Amino acid sequence: MVLKIFFPQCCTTADSGLLVGCWIPDQDSAVVLAVVHYPFIPGQVKRYLTEIRSQTDVDLTVLGSWSMPKEGQEGMDSFLKDLSTIFPHSRWLQLSREIGKRGFTCQVVRKGGMFLKEQAKEGEGSVRDENEKVIIVHYDQRKVMLSQLHPVQEGVSHSKMEQSALRAVFHTVAQSHPLFFIDKYDDGPLKLTHWQSEGREASIIAELVKQGSVPVCKLLTWMLSLWSWLGSIRLLNVPPVRFISSKLSTCVQLGYRTEHLQTVSSTRKATEHMEFMRKANIFVSFLLDMALGLLLIAWLYRENRIGKLASTLVPVADVRVPYPSKNHLDLSGLKMNRALDQVLGRFFIYHIHLWISYIHLMSPFIEMILWYVGLSACLGLTFALSVLSDMVALLTFHIYCFYVYGARLYCLKIYGLSSLWRLFRGKKWNVLRQRVDSCSYDMDQLFIGTLLFTILLFLLPTTALYYLVFTLLRLVVVLFQGLIHLAVDLLNSFPLFAMGLRVCRPYRLAEGVKFRVLCEEEGTPLHLMMEINPIKVSAVLQYYRTPTYSCYPRDSWMALCKKLFVGELIYPWKHKTTKTD
Amino acid sequence: MGADSGPGAPAAAPWRKVLYGRQPYPDNYVDRRFLAELRRNVGVQQLRYWSVAREAGLVGQQVSCVAVFVALWSSLDGGALPPAALLWGGLLAALLGYGLHGALGGGTGGRTRWADLQSAAIFLAFTFGFSPVLKTLTESVSTDTVYAMSALMLLAHLLFFPYARPSPPGSLSLNAALFGSVCLASRLPGALHAFAMLTWALLLFALWPCLLQRLRDRAPRAFPWAAALVSLAGVGGLSGLWPGGSVLLLLTLLALTLACPLLLVRLQRHKDNIHGPWDEAEIREDLSRFLD
Repeated sequence: MVLKIFFPQCCTTADSGLLVGCWIPDQDSAVVLAVVHYPFIPGQVKRYLTEIRSQTDVDLTVLGSWSMPKEGQEGMDSFLKDLSTIFPHSRWLQLSREIGKRGFTCQVVRKGGMFLKEQAKEGEGSVRDENEKVIIVHYDQRKVMLSQLHPVQEGVSHSKMEQSALRAVFHTVAQSHPLFFIDKYDDGPLKLTHWQSEGREASIIAELVKQGSVPVCKLLTWMLSLWSWLGSIRLLNVPPVRFISSKLSTCVQLGYRTEHLQTVSSTRKATEHMEFMRKANIFVSFLLDMALGLLLIAWLYRENRIGKLASTLVPVADVRVPYPSKNHLDLSGLKMNRALDQVLGRFFIYHIHLWISYIHLMSPFIEMILWYVGLSACLGLTFALSVLSDMVALLTFHIYCFYVYGARLYCLKIYGLSSLWRLFRGKKWNVLRQRVDSCSYDMDQLFIGTLLFTILLFLLPTTALYYLVFTLLRLVVVLFQGLIHLAVDLLNSFPLFAMGLRVCRPYRLAEGVKFRVLCEEEGTPLHLMMEINPIKVSAVLQYYRTPTYSCYPRDSWMALCKKLFVGELIYPWKHKTTKTD
Repeated sequence: MGADSGPGAPAAAPWRKVLYGRQPYPDNYVDRRFLAELRRNVGVQQLRYWSVAREAGLVGQQVSCVAVFVALWSSLDGGALPPAALLWGGLLAALLGYGLHGALGGGTGGRTRWADLQSAAIFLAFTFGFSPVLKTLTESVSTDTVYAMSALMLLAHLLFFPYARPSPPGSLSLNAALFGSVCLASRLPGALHAFAMLTWALLLFALWPCLLQRLRDRAPRAFPWAAALVSLAGVGGLSGLWPGGSVLLLLTLLALTLACPLLLVRLQRHKDNIHGPWDEAEIREDLSRFLD
């Protein structure tokens, strides 16, 4: 049975006194939180401890005594030993430093006065049943207090039994911060040594921000409630408007940002670690977003860039779909049917003509529209990107229309061909059994079926070519939009604050601990130094990613190719909306 | 393994052909009665030459049908035959055939005159409507490919033709023939030509076998004459196009109709099927009475 004593580093040079801390029952460990110095009145100590115990969840008791030899205090040892009778305990620890030795000795006294010898060295051959091995683990109190073990177990730990020793230690230290309020400058009845006993750390700026943030949050919350009331009025919730606003990524992004702001601006203080991290991440990413947006505005509105952009945009919009001509393509051996070619070509060219006239109608206003729309970048770079994505979608709407026409025509043709091929062989699709069965057709059916089959077969290359061209164009547009969405998503969900914390203050995000041997001397127990192991960078992303919509491919490559081949309409990106908890 | 042989054979109880009883003989033992139940050539019919030749006439007839079709096409293509004349000829032939079909009796098989008229109307409307489309169908395909495709399709038609019973037309054979005829028809100069060609394709490949089946059933004596008529027409038509081809066709017909049956009958003598109780059981009675 090994008794582990977690001893704060700041107390190794403290004067003699009482050890105050907490026993962790199942794992046979003790966490020392502070040292109460002489002079003290035991009654006051007990009262103070009960006060702290009621404030926190921690079962504070007096663990034992600590003696640091100094001139003029030789009688301390015996005095401290006698104290074991005053304070209730099941085990009493007597830690003492000696001059000349780095390590300190430890003696454990059971209730009833049974004296248990400690074992000086590890691994000694003789085993005595009542002997207890003692390991003293040094820890940096401030770091452990601020640190959070991952994976985070939220909520009140309803069963302390299931916590591992490490978690219990971290939890205990973190919960005991009321204990660390008294520093050496206080005029109270007790003198404590802990990590803050040199003086409480505080900064004026932090205090001012904290004070100032409350009214700001209240204002923000009021504004957001107004905004969401506006968003929920009946007129805007009509299904067509709803449908359009679910397709426009600007509206989606607006919705997400509103949600985020609501999280950040709630006046309730974040009690749990994950909530705090989420708020902080959202806040920092929002700031970054705005900063980038303002940078973009500063760049865009100089040197009449808007005007230049507008003048390049209009010719780009009326991109002429390359019209496959017979001469050009017959060279490559494709069997295009001239009549069908002309029909389809005329149809599409007419559409393009309509589109171009629409663009030309709009062209005098484009610069003004761009100017005002560019201002929206002050809400953040994500907005600017969403607006860009929507503009691209609107300008290439005709490509989308053409793709739908081409795909539907091709799909019909393929479907018809496959059905008529079955007729050619004298078979038919059995819908009930989902298989191909033989069938005896009528003369009429056979004749007309064969005729249609021949026609469809010979017209296939023409339709397939149109389909191919339009699909490629559409895929290019979709890819571009996908890239933009990826960038927006990255900006939205990247946990900047957590990443910064990991880089600058790695001890706050802990994955585990590692131990280093400090001193292994004869006659003293093993001394280990506990160092915090921060979590990996990839784990930061995994735990702290803000859930937003993430774009990922809906189909695997094989399914996508099959859909393209058959002519089904593809919507390659699926927007996953995750509910924030 | 051999029959009863030699002094080594244990002479206990006589051997019985059962496996469920323990016998002093080995399991693969057989006795003298082995192969007594062997029968030879039980179900073999004795073929007579002229009836086989008559049935083979159907094959020859179908080949000449295809030849007639190709001859018609080439004359239409060359301009020797105006399409209008062909159309009227087709109409006349259809009416004649329909009359003959009805005259041979045997009921209309559940189809009324009105249904027949409807089918004809649908077919005519469809073909006429689609003939401009059909004409430009193979414009971009090279001539050699078109000829190769048509030849392949007509060959498939001949191979898959249901010679045993031509009347409900076999799907694959009819479809192949129509596909080939559409390919050929799309090479003709005008839409009307294509229409005429398709009309004749339907007559020759779809309706003529029905009539032939009727003839075979009702007037078995007239059947060989009809077949001979078609063959002659084929040879004659092809001679205008390609004399060498018509000679070839004639030779093929003779071979099919006269030489092959002779070969079959001669080879029938060498037939040697053995049957016995070891054959798979064949269920000869109609078991549908059990399905109720």
